[in-house]
Amino acid sequence: MSKRILVVEDHEDNRQILRILLAGAGFDMLEAWDGEAALTTAASERPDLILMDIQLPGLTGYEVTRRLKADPLLRAIPIIAVTSYALSGDEGKATEAGCDAYVTKPYRPRQLLAKIKEFLP
Amino acid sequence: MSTKLATHSQGLFRKYFLLLVALVSGVWIPLSAINIYSLFEANKQALLHLQMKEALNAATKIEHFITEVERQIQLIMDVEPGVGSDELSTEFYRLLRQAPAITEVIYIDFSGRERVRVSRLDLDVAGTQRDLSGDPIFIYAKSRGTYFSPVYFRDESEPYMTIAMAGSSAESGVAIAHLNLKFIWEVISRMKIGKAGYAYVLDSNSTLIAHPNISMVLRYTNFTLLPQVRQAQANRTRPIQGETATVAEDLAGRQVLTAYTTVAPLGWLVFAELPVDEAYAPLYVEVKRLALLLLAGLVLAPLGGLFLARKMMVPIRALKAGAARIGSGDLGQPISIKTGDEFEALADQFNNMAGQLQQSRADLEKTVETRTRELAQSVDELRALGEVSQAINSTLDLETVLTTIVAKAVQLSGTDAGTIYTFDELRQEFRLRATHGMHEVMIAAVRDQRVRAGETAIGKAAAERAPVQIPDVLKESSLVLDVVVRAGYRAVLVVPLLRPDQVIGALVVQRKQAGEFPKSTVDLLETFAAQSVFAIQNASLFSEIEEKSQQLAIASEHKSHFLANMSHELRTPLNAILGFSELIMDGMLGEVPAKLQEAHKRIHSNGMHLLGLINDVLDLSKIEAGQLTLSLEDYSIAQVVHTVLTAVESLADEKKLALKSALPPDLPKARGDERRMVQVLLNLVGNAIKFTEAGEVVVTATAANGSFTIGVSDTGPGIPEADQIKIFEEFQQAASSSKGAKGGTGLGLSIAKRIVEMHGGRIWLDSSSGHGSTFSMTLPLIVEKQKIRA
Repeated sequence: MSKRILVVEDHEDNRQILRILLAGAGFDMLEAWDGEAALTTAASERPDLILMDIQLPGLTGYEVTRRLKADPLLRAIPIIAVTSYALSGDEGKATEAGCDAYVTKPYRPRQLLAKIKEFLP
Repeated sequence: MSTKLATHSQGLFRKYFLLLVALVSGVWIPLSAINIYSLFEANKQALLHLQMKEALNAATKIEHFITEVERQIQLIMDVEPGVGSDELSTEFYRLLRQAPAITEVIYIDFSGRERVRVSRLDLDVAGTQRDLSGDPIFIYAKSRGTYFSPVYFRDESEPYMTIAMAGSSAESGVAIAHLNLKFIWEVISRMKIGKAGYAYVLDSNSTLIAHPNISMVLRYTNFTLLPQVRQAQANRTRPIQGETATVAEDLAGRQVLTAYTTVAPLGWLVFAELPVDEAYAPLYVEVKRLALLLLAGLVLAPLGGLFLARKMMVPIRALKAGAARIGSGDLGQPISIKTGDEFEALADQFNNMAGQLQQSRADLEKTVETRTRELAQSVDELRALGEVSQAINSTLDLETVLTTIVAKAVQLSGTDAGTIYTFDELRQEFRLRATHGMHEVMIAAVRDQRVRAGETAIGKAAAERAPVQIPDVLKESSLVLDVVVRAGYRAVLVVPLLRPDQVIGALVVQRKQAGEFPKSTVDLLETFAAQSVFAIQNASLFSEIEEKSQQLAIASEHKSHFLANMSHELRTPLNAILGFSELIMDGMLGEVPAKLQEAHKRIHSNGMHLLGLINDVLDLSKIEAGQLTLSLEDYSIAQVVHTVLTAVESLADEKKLALKSALPPDLPKARGDERRMVQVLLNLVGNAIKFTEAGEVVVTATAANGSFTIGVSDTGPGIPEADQIKIFEEFQQAASSSKGAKGGTGLGLSIAKRIVEMHGGRIWLDSSSGHGSTFSMTLPLIVEKQKIRA
């Protein structure tokens, strides 16, 4: 059974890129458009990994991460933060929120895939 | 202190005592000694002279006695040749009667036959007719003149002598007379020399023939043992010259004054002697007297010293006590010394001094008091100004500041009330802004009464740009509001609040007492007026600044927000562009026709370039906002170079440029922001590749003395000197060198420079047109703390 990755991303085009990328790499992809949906889907689907965009309408990616990491059932799911902020300290904020890895936008698809494979070999 | 003084008084006593002793012993004793000595000498001379006189006197008497006897015999002998024996006998008897000392007379005629013998002992003894021609006495008298025999004693008790003399003619006989010398004894024993003095006579054989002590004569006491006698014997033949008196010893060994003389015809010596004790008795008395006086002097010396010392100490003590009083500041009590000498003069001097001290102290106190008052006033003014300054600084509320100023102005100018007006340019009238000491009713009244420009004393002061004072409002009521006069104020001082180009208000103080305001008050109020101007100006400036900075903060916030949004909003579509582009390139969407591949590459590289631009703008805005901070960690310089070279390898390959690096193998670890260092070096190497058309790009790195240097050299066109300085400034790409689209924002070097400086390093350029460029940066190996904010 292929691994399932929850992509939290509000931008359709970017989701499309990931669909192609992850499908090509043999992952199943779950999608969430905003933080609330991310929390619901994560709880119901229990994905193997979450790609978390930080800049989201409503709840930010950090807040969603914090809530997921506070849930004992979901805590173990690795979360890779994807952010378009390049301000220094973003990485720190991501780590602080409980993210397991950090990738800045724009990411190179292969680079992202390599990062995912660190968690899902 | 008293012990010390006591010691000093003992010192004084000792001084006087020693002085008096020295006077007594040093002057009096020698004087007395000289006196005694001369007295002694004079006395001795007088006594000796007396001795001489006595001796001479005795000698003269003896001589006279002998001469008389000789003369009387001579008288008889002169008539002898013509007279018979009976007649001679008669003559001789007469002689015996006349000269009681003659005891017997014998007449021997010239043939040597004894013709007459008359004696007191054997009366009427006629001449014995004995032949005495052989008798040595007869022969002596006949041939050599008068003969004097040595003294001899009859009956062992009476001294006698024999005189023999011949008549004057050749037929004359010789008369021999025996002479009893008791008469001489009487002369000698009767002689009185002083109390214990005496005289004695020695004959030509130095036999004692007369002495007050007869027994000594009868015992033939030998006087030749005495040196004075021996000396006299030696000098007997010589006539006596001057004084013969000397001091010698008598037979008993006593010291005596002795003098002698001779009885010339007989060759006898007459001595007069006086015991020295007696001669010097008056001298001893004198010496004793002097010794007593000396003793008395010595006894009196300490007493005198004590007396003088005490006499000195009394005024000195008084002076000391007085000086101590003066010293302790008690100047009112004069020193009283009435000795009429230098002490009194000194005391007067002290009193004068004390008087002058008192005077100058009084003057000083007065001056100090005046100065203190002035100082207190100054301090008050300064304090007030300080409080005003503090009020200006601590609050931006103009009302509070102006109220403080007017309160202090009223307080320090000694007035009863004060107001500050500001001038409303628009309405051309003065408006009440702050008051002090005024009744609320009056405040309300004044507030209602607008003072227009040119009206009242305020308007006058504003027009003249100078203080205006009204010493008596009743005399100049036109210049004052009615309410002021009604409230009982009599004097008003108005000081305009001046700026160089305009009047912005007025400071007014009122007093219920009429009268001129002194210049110091006017000056003081001008100071307060200046403070008021300052405060008003400050307040308006502050409110302006506050407003501006508020606007600025909002604008800044907008900018940050905008940048953050832009960054995100730009990146999101860019992410999609680059993402799809890479998916296509990776062939994940199927085979790409060869024709499209080149176009695709262009899309991708331009997308990447756009990303770089967005990143640069974001970095710069972060730097400007002070939001860029270094994350310091250990890193490898070689790794940084390697990362950069790897990233640009494909770019260099495309342009057929040689990409080289020269790194020593022992390059140490550094501490800093690795990501930022990569960014900087990437920028430098990227630029080098971008602007170099042929040749090579070389990266070097060295480390020494705690810092490391990285250099990036290219064989590009080089940068003209004129552009070299500007190149690190924002938006400055070497304009002249860019022949069009080289890309880039011109922000890269500016950002690089900021990042290097944040590490405490520097970046510079060596280049000349046509000879390539070398960018170098030197940074500390270990950066523990960000050096400057972005």
